[in-house]
Amino acid sequence: MSISSYLNLQQLLESNSVTIEESRSFGLTNLSLKDSPKEQLLSWTKLYQDRLKKPLLSDRVSSYLYNITFVLVILGFIFGLFSAIGLLSYNGSEPVNVIYFISVVIFLPILTMMLTIFSMFRANSAKSVLVHISPAFWMEKILALLPNSMSDNIKEIKINPLLSNWLIIKRSQLIALFFSIGLFVGLLGVVITKDIAFAWSTTLQITPDMLYEFLHIISIPWSYILPSAIPSQELIEHSQYFRLGDRLSENIISHASSLGEWWKFLALSTLFYAIFLRFVVLIISSFGLRYALDKSIFRLDGAMRLLREINEPIIETNAPNQEPLFIPTNGKYNKVIDSKAKKHDYSVIQGLGMRYDELLVISDSMGISASQYFIVGGSNSLEEDDRVISQSSDEVLLFVKAWEPPMMDFVDYLADLTNNKKVKRVVIMPIGTLEEDYKASPQNIDIWANKLSLSQNNKVWLKR
Amino acid sequence: MITSHPKFAVVGHPNKGKSSIVSALALDDSVQVSNTPGTTTKKRSFPLSVDGKILYELFDTPGFQRARRVLAWLHQHDVRADKRPDIVRAFINQYRYDERFNDEIELLEPIMQGAGIIYVVDGSKPYGAEYEAEMEILRWTGQPSMALINHIDSSDYSDEWDRALGQYFKMVRKFNPMRATFSQHLGILESMAQLKEEWIDDVKISIDLFKKQNNQKIERSASLIAKLLYQSISLVDRLSIEDEEATKDEKAKIESKYKDSLRELEIKTQEGIKEIWKHKRLKIEQNILPFNGLDLFSKETASIFGLTKKELMVMGITSGAVTGATIDLLFVGHTFFIGGAIGAVVGGTGAYFGFDELSEIQILGTTLGKRDLEIGPMKNKNFPFILIGRALYHTSKIANRSHASREDIDIDIHIDLESVFKNKWLTNDEIRDNLEKYHKKFRQPKDIEPEILKEYDGLIKSVLVGLINS
Repeated sequence: MSISSYLNLQQLLESNSVTIEESRSFGLTNLSLKDSPKEQLLSWTKLYQDRLKKPLLSDRVSSYLYNITFVLVILGFIFGLFSAIGLLSYNGSEPVNVIYFISVVIFLPILTMMLTIFSMFRANSAKSVLVHISPAFWMEKILALLPNSMSDNIKEIKINPLLSNWLIIKRSQLIALFFSIGLFVGLLGVVITKDIAFAWSTTLQITPDMLYEFLHIISIPWSYILPSAIPSQELIEHSQYFRLGDRLSENIISHASSLGEWWKFLALSTLFYAIFLRFVVLIISSFGLRYALDKSIFRLDGAMRLLREINEPIIETNAPNQEPLFIPTNGKYNKVIDSKAKKHDYSVIQGLGMRYDELLVISDSMGISASQYFIVGGSNSLEEDDRVISQSSDEVLLFVKAWEPPMMDFVDYLADLTNNKKVKRVVIMPIGTLEEDYKASPQNIDIWANKLSLSQNNKVWLKR
Repeated sequence: MITSHPKFAVVGHPNKGKSSIVSALALDDSVQVSNTPGTTTKKRSFPLSVDGKILYELFDTPGFQRARRVLAWLHQHDVRADKRPDIVRAFINQYRYDERFNDEIELLEPIMQGAGIIYVVDGSKPYGAEYEAEMEILRWTGQPSMALINHIDSSDYSDEWDRALGQYFKMVRKFNPMRATFSQHLGILESMAQLKEEWIDDVKISIDLFKKQNNQKIERSASLIAKLLYQSISLVDRLSIEDEEATKDEKAKIESKYKDSLRELEIKTQEGIKEIWKHKRLKIEQNILPFNGLDLFSKETASIFGLTKKELMVMGITSGAVTGATIDLLFVGHTFFIGGAIGAVVGGTGAYFGFDELSEIQILGTTLGKRDLEIGPMKNKNFPFILIGRALYHTSKIANRSHASREDIDIDIHIDLESVFKNKWLTNDEIRDNLEKYHKKFRQPKDIEPEILKEYDGLIKSVLVGLINS
């Protein structure tokens, strides 16, 4: 798992270029990965990363990060090298104070490593103050100041705080490690090329015994392997000097040949504290970065959705084809008789899909009568309807159930009825249910009016 | 004809809710449903497929138009009962291109290809003899059949329908697609499975899948709501200012920007919820303003969805006391438990006095002499409860909404919600305190661990389950 795969996954999730069907198909063809979601995400990314815009943002970012880190690592090394040369500069008249060097190769690394470890615990925090002191943090700032195309790429990256903190922590350790290597190389170079007289001097009231005890503790890591790299009590006593006075003490001068012995201690201190321990912290930060990457991919927006798409069956219930759009006609029927108009009797009253007794009750309740009453439609056969048509004449009132839609069966019957030359006029009257006192709702009458408007038969009238 | 999966044709008189039933059973709101007869002119298949494999198929069909003519044609062929399906096939073959029988052909075709019959009638209107021709034709097909009594209006003629339908169909069930709950939906599927023995397994698998899918939808909705809460509470907005101090206008501007961002997050979540529950049509038609203009920050919203001042104070006291008690524990009680007491007072008053404020507006110094005005994260302890309340209400409305419904969501908050909805989900203090525990974490400037969000998801889900299945 690398930052590249993280960025590729992020870009793929943002681009939505993979369909749900493709993701599910991936899940079905890679069933062995079902229990390892991280592997699923990585394999899925690998499979579909070709769909991302080329060159890949991840490649560009990785390359920029690599280049910038490389430059900073080289600068760190050079800085370490020159720091060592500076710290060990010897003008021939005054010995080199080892305290400076010890501070840089022991105390400074321990302090920065402690801060690093503390910042590792706080890496989850979006506003971790400690990362601000890291050179790698400023490296990100430098990246943002780079020429346009480069800084645009950097702006495109949205890395969560946990991951970006670990990225900074790891890169900081790498730079610090090379700084330490620079120190070490500088120390060796100066030791080889110069004859340095080391001494120690401090304003603090520290006796050679106390310093010996202290250095002894510091030297524990290599005391069994290289005891000669532990400064002896005599060496410490002989190499103490004081700034007061123009000349060095007799003691130092008489032991000048042994003062160079300090270099072994300084070299081992650099190796252990500045390089080895830093390397250990670098390894820890590598693990931390890996852990952060593992966690961060699941925090990516859409990652959990993708896992669901990969692992859950696609259940479709929709129609695969689009339904032809239905445009309702809203026809008006002009041949309308007002139901409140003066009532008169009809030659024939018919009831579509009604019972005979029902038809009589309806007619009676409306105060309308006729010489003949017929049932049509419904359970009648077509022949029975034909017989009714042949017996019909003049003005026919046809009751229809308003709540039932006018079907083609009705249209056919109406056509046959009006084709009968004896029939002069057919009045259609939609009626409501008994519960509604046979009063049809205006909406239902509109539906019947709309149907009648489609045929526009001169003999047909609508009573509403 | 032998079919590889169960098929069901939803047939009947025009305008009796066939499409609504299909829409509800297929969970597809793209079906055209209207009260104009003849909306469906062609049969339409709605397969339930799992990873491309069809488990069963529903057919929406046009209604009968000339049933008596078709029956008359069938009756002309006086054959034994076992030969009747052949006569129906012969009718289809003879009149396939005859426009007069277009609707009958469309509805009979899937049946003669092995589909079970679901005959739909409107139980809110009286039974009529004109239905008998249709039922007789369906009997001629020889296919297993059931009847569904749909109730389009409030009147009830179920008894007379029951008596008539019982003579023609193996099963008669009542089903209102507009109000059907999830379990009623599954009940209908179970009935459909009984039509033919060999269909039982496939339909049962489908029922299990629907249950699983429903659970997944609840989980995904809970996850979206949890995300909304986390994003809203932790949201921080910035505005650049030129001077040392922010003007009133600048403060108002950043507050308005902050509120807009929060509103946007809510709308985005609502869209996500509609997508999860497959209410696409609603997505297009519903007014963009959530809750018909009842703004997220209005006092009315706060009074309907938020906690009361008393509840807030109690919650603050509990939360403060817990913090104080932790200090007491650290000092093994040597603080004489003053920590707990102070915590309770501070927490209680803090929650009370922060009732109307959203968050502090701070001025941040930046480089090159410019300054930023910053607002957020959300300090108001009531706001998360308002947001959850609205999100839960919206989700329960969407989840419980039938796919057959074509009306906009009726969010009549004033009648429906006041002092009712909150009691439905915030049933005890434990839920409130548990939620606040997470809200407190969301207010921290930290990236929240996915595990914590998952726990919060679970909490929201437990509440949502009660609302959706109630």
